[in-house]
Amino acid sequence: MIRINRRKLALTSAVLAVAAMTASSLPAQAASDPGVTASSIKLGITVPMTGIASPGYNKIPGAMKAYFDYVNANGGVNGRKITLVIKDDQYIPTTAVAKANELILKDKVFALVGTLGTASTKAISASTQLAKRGIPSLFVNTGFSGFADPKGYPTTFSILPSYQMEAKIMGKFLKEKYPDKKLALIYQDDDFGRDALAGFKQAGVTFGTYIPYASGSQALPATGAGWISKLKASGAEVTVLFGVTSASTAALANAYAAQFKTQWVLGSVGGDATTIAATNKAYVPLLYGAKGFSFAPAPTDATDEYIKLFQSIYSAAQPTQTFDNNVVAGMSNAFLAVQALKAAGADLTRDGLIKAVETKGATFASPFLTPLGYSATSHVGATGYWIGTYDPTGALKPDGGKYTVYTTDSGNGPVVESTYKRPAMPAKGLPN
Amino acid sequence: MLKKHPLAGFSLFGIILFILSNRVDELRVFQGATVAIYVIAIASIILLTGYSGQVSLGQGALLAIGGYAAALARNHWGAPVWLTFCIAVLAAALGGYLLGIAAARLSGPYLAGTTLALAIGLPSIANQFSIFGGEQGLLFDIGAPPASLGENFSQYKWYFWIAALAALIAIYWLRNVMNSRYGRSWKAVRGNDVAAELAGINVGRNKVLAFTISAGLAGLAGALLAMTISTVSPGAFPLALSFSLATGAVLSGVTTLGGVMIGAVTLVAIPEIVDTVVSRFESSESVANNLPGLLVSTLLILTVLFVPNGPVEQLRTRREHRAKK
Repeated sequence: MIRINRRKLALTSAVLAVAAMTASSLPAQAASDPGVTASSIKLGITVPMTGIASPGYNKIPGAMKAYFDYVNANGGVNGRKITLVIKDDQYIPTTAVAKANELILKDKVFALVGTLGTASTKAISASTQLAKRGIPSLFVNTGFSGFADPKGYPTTFSILPSYQMEAKIMGKFLKEKYPDKKLALIYQDDDFGRDALAGFKQAGVTFGTYIPYASGSQALPATGAGWISKLKASGAEVTVLFGVTSASTAALANAYAAQFKTQWVLGSVGGDATTIAATNKAYVPLLYGAKGFSFAPAPTDATDEYIKLFQSIYSAAQPTQTFDNNVVAGMSNAFLAVQALKAAGADLTRDGLIKAVETKGATFASPFLTPLGYSATSHVGATGYWIGTYDPTGALKPDGGKYTVYTTDSGNGPVVESTYKRPAMPAKGLPN
Repeated sequence: MLKKHPLAGFSLFGIILFILSNRVDELRVFQGATVAIYVIAIASIILLTGYSGQVSLGQGALLAIGGYAAALARNHWGAPVWLTFCIAVLAAALGGYLLGIAAARLSGPYLAGTTLALAIGLPSIANQFSIFGGEQGLLFDIGAPPASLGENFSQYKWYFWIAALAALIAIYWLRNVMNSRYGRSWKAVRGNDVAAELAGINVGRNKVLAFTISAGLAGLAGALLAMTISTVSPGAFPLALSFSLATGAVLSGVTTLGGVMIGAVTLVAIPEIVDTVVSRFESSESVANNLPGLLVSTLLILTVLFVPNGPVEQLRTRREHRAKK
């Protein structure tokens, strides 16, 4: 019996291996950088389109594509049209690496754009050797401060301020706004939360109660209920939640069920109404009155010229989708990418693109209300936050009716109120 | 030739792979490495389920043990690459041994449930202790290929060589184990444990042994997986991984090692084929994203319906049947 199996093993194995590996051989690479022709630029993105992390995030590529198509319809970048190849990584680092490899080796993209999630971004960078191959990874969607350091990730640029920056700004806000209140902190017990703890420490804020939770455990009903009983016992008047949106949902829902009142202060990662609505629409009003942090204009701010433009582009491209934070994030990302490509000049190379962001990135027009921090020594994007309050529809409205922006760095620098005035949007929202 | 000289057969297959690896492009080489890793992981399930009759839905957790053990050994003690893989095998085998002791007392759905819980729970332990690097995980860098292989020798080809060699050695060794006294004992236990016990086989000890060896193989696969993505993190070993490995084992045929390549190649090829097909027809995003899952599930159902023991076993039975006539 085994004898026949042996032959089968060899035969099937050999046939399948040959078939799988030669199924499609590809033409040799041209001399110039891949992904660029006289009339086109090919970019690639891996994002969770399916799976637990996908609600909300899966709108980002569609939003980016809508803006790229708008640019293409208006003549493209230096005469080149942009195509975006989208791959689903399910928020699994292994899949993200496999998909990034397809983008780089099969689709031959010029650059990666908008990679999402710290673990996936790290794995892609290390395994596909972005730095060694000189492949730019533009504007990754994670606040891990490491990606902003060109020593570790020379071809990677981040777009979000770091979590440490956010905690420093939040700390200053807490000290000024609630000096005599009992404070509590719920945070994710990993690098994400540790970055935040470091920021709070620098800001000189101490909490009466610290509630760490393990990533993933927030999905368990008992976890959220446990937080609330601890908060109740400590009499927390102001509760900061520095975690993911599913943790905010668990906290708000359990507090409501237990009739527990506290002033919620939500970190920028955990306050997305669309993601909360994906769990249960009835939870959205629970955001009402909570404090939140953002660096982009509010999606509901119809007076903002960028929001107006993005909204009109998006509603034409994706008429059935709601315009929210994720859409603004995606379109802002695409907007910056187009500027970087434009700044790299007509003779587009990967090296030139990286140089362009390093030398001119800080002067790029952007929808963000904070200055951009790009330089040869720092690859950080937005450098601060404005503070607002959630309305009953889950929209974050700036306190005092106007955006007051605070900026800082990931080191020991102070938190200062920014005097930055965002330059007017380039005509028709097209970089010049 | 394989019949009389299995070692020569395996060597020949190895040489074919070696030649192929120099002739195909880098993406195929990377996918080849993934296939080799799946081969080892699926073989570990076949050994456990097909040969010793124990169901494990939590193989991903054992892969995680291997991956983390390798990364820690490399990062903290600077262990040479070959040693990190040995440590991964030993660590996972130890985990499997402990699990096996508990598992030997359970059977059927209870065992499946226990291993499932392990697959869900174990990777998140990494978030509890800072040594594991939390959600972002640890880097696992085996270094560049030796300079003697030439400047143009790519990293992925190096990964492929390591993974393919490990797979060939593992399968050759496993084949021998399955043909040995232990393999026959496992089959006897799977067939009927009372009868096996009457024949003088220590059922409990045999089950634990099968679990330990299976876990060791899974640990090797985990370390190789970590190598190809250069990192280990809880997210790399999701429940979905355990399920797709179990699916791969069913597609391969759980009762024979012969078809192990079928499952591994299917798991790697399906998403790629779907991608190619979908990109030709401008279909909607949600179709493209969900099609691979749908196809694999359909294949799984068809396999269970028509070739429950896998295509290789089916062919063999048919041939034997014909020979009798």
